[in-house]
Amino acid sequence: MSKSQPMYQAEVYSFEQWRSEARNALAAQIAPSDIEWQSDGQQGLFNTPVPKAPDTFSVNINRDFMNLADAAACFRNSARWGILYRLLWRQVYEEPKLLSISTDNDVMLLHRMVGQVRRDSHKMKAFVRFKEVERYHNTYMAWHEPTHYVVERVAPFFMRRFTSMNWAILTPYQSAYWNGEKLRYGEGQPRSAIPHEDAMEEMWKTFYRNIFNPARIKIDMMTSEMPRKYWHTMPETALIPSMLEEADTRVKKMVKDSKSKNSDNQDDEDHDSLFL
Amino acid sequence: MPLDLQQKLAILADAAKYDASCSSSGSNTKREGKGIGSTEGMGICHSYTPDGRCISLLKILMTNYCMFDCKYCINRISSNVQRARFTTDEIIYLTLEFYKRNYIEGLFLSSGIIRDSDYTMEQMVRVAKSLRLHHGYKGYIHLKTIPGAHDDLITEAGLYADRLSVNIELPTDDDLQELAPEKKKDALEGNMASVEYKIKEFKDARKAKLKPPTFTPAGQSTQMIVGATPTADYAILHTASSLYSKHSLRRVYYSAFSPIPDAHHGLPLKNPPLMREHRLYQADWMLRFYGYKVEEIITSKQPDLRLDVDPKTNWALNNRDFFPVNVNKASKEALLRIPGIGVGSVSKILKIRRLKSVTLEDLKKLRCVLKRARPFIITQDWHPHGVIDTEQLIGQLVTPKYAQLELAL
Repeated sequence: MSKSQPMYQAEVYSFEQWRSEARNALAAQIAPSDIEWQSDGQQGLFNTPVPKAPDTFSVNINRDFMNLADAAACFRNSARWGILYRLLWRQVYEEPKLLSISTDNDVMLLHRMVGQVRRDSHKMKAFVRFKEVERYHNTYMAWHEPTHYVVERVAPFFMRRFTSMNWAILTPYQSAYWNGEKLRYGEGQPRSAIPHEDAMEEMWKTFYRNIFNPARIKIDMMTSEMPRKYWHTMPETALIPSMLEEADTRVKKMVKDSKSKNSDNQDDEDHDSLFL
Repeated sequence: MPLDLQQKLAILADAAKYDASCSSSGSNTKREGKGIGSTEGMGICHSYTPDGRCISLLKILMTNYCMFDCKYCINRISSNVQRARFTTDEIIYLTLEFYKRNYIEGLFLSSGIIRDSDYTMEQMVRVAKSLRLHHGYKGYIHLKTIPGAHDDLITEAGLYADRLSVNIELPTDDDLQELAPEKKKDALEGNMASVEYKIKEFKDARKAKLKPPTFTPAGQSTQMIVGATPTADYAILHTASSLYSKHSLRRVYYSAFSPIPDAHHGLPLKNPPLMREHRLYQADWMLRFYGYKVEEIITSKQPDLRLDVDPKTNWALNNRDFFPVNVNKASKEALLRIPGIGVGSVSKILKIRRLKSVTLEDLKKLRCVLKRARPFIITQDWHPHGVIDTEQLIGQLVTPKYAQLELAL
């Protein structure tokens, strides 16, 4: 084979499209290095489309792999489609048990993508902050900025949890809406699409400030679990700088007050049997 | 002037923060009816504070008035802290409004003891019951049971709560006698035993296909305060281990004693022993997931965990005869004892080695800590050959600076 341009090109925007194009490519026995996966609408110079697989073509794919691939498909990098096809090819034509070798480079890439998508999904479940918006009939609206394409993975969770509410989660690339009956997806929205304030946020901040123990500071622990990239849509994070600034003084004051109080009481020690 | 809701929240959240537990996992219940909320097994941490702890639940006290005088507690009767009490409706309101905005997974309600144990417990059960029955709330509820409350109340609490807990507070009877004279280890364990009995009853009934009402699907947990008394880790881990086996607890939390406002003068006023707390959690994991017995981790001769080296590495240093372990041949139990290799990596190694020989590069890719593992293992491409004696190893694997972390203030 010449090592110039790949001979085939597939254009995919979703897991289902990838699945169907990958089936076509497997049927035509197109090697991973001979196919270019596009998802930005740019046509390559040699854009031979992958021929359709005959209806009779069937291939057994490990269900675990398809579940992992479904997650990796949400990874925000266009290289994902090619990596997934290479993994598929190797399992079908070369190493049926490839997935068990978790230290194989492609398998590691797969797990790394899946891991990041799952983490981002989990963080979306955690960090979405709804505001109750009266002018939209008390709809609960949130603007959230996920790192990967996880809206459709996570929206059903919110549907199961907030079944009796009307809610909308807007993100820069896609939005999800629930009206109590139907889950609907729409285009991305700017942050300005939802109002700034919700009175309950003051109450939430009060809780956040007071549940914090100033005597134990572990900032690295906080930021590794709650990375700064998510902070701008979480109202409570605005308090963090002042909480840290005050922490030391608060602890020293606690200790000082107790010490001085206890030294005042020294003389009464003998009568202090109530406590001893 | 009476306190408004925001002021009460400030006081009663502040009063609740010394309880380490915040887990919302382990409950996967389909509660019936239209309403709000769900529990799907995996807990969710909705925020983190700069102390590195997560906020999963609205963790508050119903009231911080208390008849007891536990010296380590900010809410003891002799403390001059400002007092407040929520009404049932206020707790319900905050829980639902926070929940609907996705701030929390649910409610963790505890309380100071007012009037008597039964009265206090009854008031707390009322909150949970109303959330479930009147508000269709299906989110997580953790209730702290009040020591000495009547069995019937605990049973009722278990119908509405996902998790119940009672804090054992201190590891020994003597410690309790000294710092929490009104609390008795027997009575605290009595609460645990009732909950455990009910859980078992529920499971038996379900096995018999009787469809009993759900009872605390996420089980029960407890907390021990560490460092308020001179009691050593040896006693702490024995108590924990016995709680796990006697009462089938899901979790024991260890909470480094930290200075509280208006502290009693018998208490150590210094930075909380965070490294010690960390080592206790490591030892706890060794008990629960790695198959170690307490006596292997710690002995009465050296009754405290080393701060400068983790307890698993410490075991390996004391048991050089056990090593080197051949990663390609050893049993799962033996692999679990290699420093720097965790439970997840062990199960991956077992899969890989069916197909190919495991190398150092594989271990590196599995993110094992090679620095710690290498002296103790044989892989296809590595043998430690006894070049390293124990003294040298200790030099390599311990971190002397930890001793400095706990300076007195």
